Amino acid sequence: MTEIMEVDPGSQGPQGPSAVRIPARGYFDGIRDVVVLELKQRLRSRGWYIMLGIWFVVIGGVTWLTWGAWNAAMNTVPAGSYGSTAQHSPGSVIFEVVLAFVLLFALLVAPALSANGVNGDRSSGTLALLQVTLLTPGQILWGKFLAAWVAALAFLVTSAPFLIIGVAAGGLSPGHIVVSLLMLALEIAVVCAIGTGVSAVAARPLFSIVVTYLAVAGLTVLSVIAFGFGMQLTRDTATAMEPSGYSAPATSDGSPSDVPEISCVPTQQPVFHTERVAWFLAVNPFVVVADAIPYSEVPSSRSDIVVNGPLESISQGTRHAMAGPEAPYSPCVNGVYQPQQSGPQYEYLKQTTPVWPLGLGIQAVLAGLLLWLGWRSLRTPARRLPRGTRIA
Amino acid sequence: MSMMYSQAAPGDDPLGIVAQGLSRRFGAVHAVQHIDFHAPPGKVTALIGPNGAGKTTLLLMLASLLRPDAGTILIDGRDPSRDPAAVRLRIGWMPDSLGVWGSLTAREILVQIARFYRMPEAGIRERAEELLHLVHLEALADQPARVLSRGQQQRLSLARALVHDPSVLLLDEPASGLDPASRVDLRNLLRSLAGAGKAVVVSSHVLSELDEIADGAAFVSAGRTVKQQSVLEAVQHGRRYSVSALDHAALVAALTGFGVEFRPEAGPRQTVSVFVTDDGAAAALLAGLVQAGVGVVSFAPAAGALEEAYMTMETERR
Repeated sequence: MTEIMEVDPGSQGPQGPSAVRIPARGYFDGIRDVVVLELKQRLRSRGWYIMLGIWFVVIGGVTWLTWGAWNAAMNTVPAGSYGSTAQHSPGSVIFEVVLAFVLLFALLVAPALSANGVNGDRSSGTLALLQVTLLTPGQILWGKFLAAWVAALAFLVTSAPFLIIGVAAGGLSPGHIVVSLLMLALEIAVVCAIGTGVSAVAARPLFSIVVTYLAVAGLTVLSVIAFGFGMQLTRDTATAMEPSGYSAPATSDGSPSDVPEISCVPTQQPVFHTERVAWFLAVNPFVVVADAIPYSEVPSSRSDIVVNGPLESISQGTRHAMAGPEAPYSPCVNGVYQPQQSGPQYEYLKQTTPVWPLGLGIQAVLAGLLLWLGWRSLRTPARRLPRGTRIA
Repeated sequence: MSMMYSQAAPGDDPLGIVAQGLSRRFGAVHAVQHIDFHAPPGKVTALIGPNGAGKTTLLLMLASLLRPDAGTILIDGRDPSRDPAAVRLRIGWMPDSLGVWGSLTAREILVQIARFYRMPEAGIRERAEELLHLVHLEALADQPARVLSRGQQQRLSLARALVHDPSVLLLDEPASGLDPASRVDLRNLLRSLAGAGKAVVVSSHVLSELDEIADGAAFVSAGRTVKQQSVLEAVQHGRRYSVSALDHAALVAALTGFGVEFRPEAGPRQTVSVFVTDDGAAAALLAGLVQAGVGVVSFAPAAGALEEAYMTMETERR
């Protein structure tokens, strides 16, 4: 990946050897140099430390509140009921709540850290100073992206103690913390890439920051709304056997039977083919993170209400949506109402059908597209400039 | 146009800048229209024109940042569109808008830029030191750039443009914001850079200053090259001298006697200006006045050569 090597041993150049230096540094060295330049600036701004401090306090507060709320809830629930079963120690829930909050705040912070990377430099006149050196557009863009990512990862590191507390308290495996931190880091990378790409395309920092926030809102909120509305469009009907009311006792010998028999008739029931629109849900960062975590306890089949952590519930919900409608529930067996066949079985979908690769893939395509557009707008000599900007 | 390509490179490639037929527009605005521009090595070429004449756009195209809509650019024989890396190794560009990484120190900025030019790690420290010395910023080398004054930032920007020892220098308004001592420094520096064989392009409004630096000038107006000539040529078209004497009436009488056309000039002292065709005519006129017994107090060009040429050009346009 080395860039254009200058092979021109000084036939010209009035400066003698100095004008024909042989550039010996590679592509990644250039990226590293840009990252160093960026991070030096970020590390020296006080605002960044203030944000880190606020972050630490907020996540700490959320952890403490979750813990307190869990304990309070446990005290009011009678012993032996579902909440206090051994499988669901507080750690699982606390960990997942804190993780969800860390992701929420990370999604709020990452655009601010990334979405003025390129056009901020453009308006302060320092971007052209980089472009006029041997740095390539790709090196500048990757450097900006990585610097924003590293700066955002610092926030993740700051919240790691609380996640570790959650894992330790719940007796969860270290795999939980590793996978969840990894997924958080990836989600932050996606947002930072979107922010960096938009900042290279858009002329004004304010505009690109707003657009990046809207993109994040689109992934988190709009995805759920789109799923909700989209689901209505997948409405279909399925035929199910339904009890058709009391019929006359029909016995062969004429004596009244003690159990009134209810006959069943086929009826149309609405079903939603959620699998057709479930990919809307898959792009949601919360879904991606929730779905990637290996949940250790898999209740095989439970008829009572299962207390999952919020993330586990999100993961399960999405997988159900992906799986599409099951055969509609019917209380009839062989055309006869059989009330003893009670309730639909709650089925825990095993982790054999992960949703997160799909979601992360779509996110990566979006981020990659924006980065590519950003790369195009960084090419020099520039054919077009963003409207209303001077290059220097 | 006599100052063009007298020095050709030993090879085929012409050194310095050769730009022909450059055009560039931004939307409906034709910033540059069919400009020809030449800057030979070893010379300081001034780029002169009113605000909005397209000077900065021209420099951006020469600096390989902006692609011309039409026309060709060769920097030391290389085309920035085809071989930007080779061109960038050869140009040092100092923009008019001072972009400074405010939280980095002057030394760090120079070191970073040297890395971006992929200079060998070993020499970078010394190079930064050398440049800080050159622009007299040693004392402020470890201060964040944001605390530097405008003039100091300007000098830092010049040092930044010189980091990789380019053979072509493009300086957009380098003198603005500089104190008189720094201006003298800048002038000497630019002369010595030109002396070392670099092609130096300076855009400026301060014409009297360019007079002392520039070997030649390109006049740009409304996106077109109006004229490109050497300072000597500018002088040869004749210029106005302003003359004052102890006895104004005697001066007026003598000039009238010689049949020289003159016009009174505004100013605190009673002064007249006369138009002379060349240096010889000026010397002859002065000798005549002295012989006539006029107590000449001052006898000097009314304006710098470039200013004169610029004003003539402006009048011609009207």
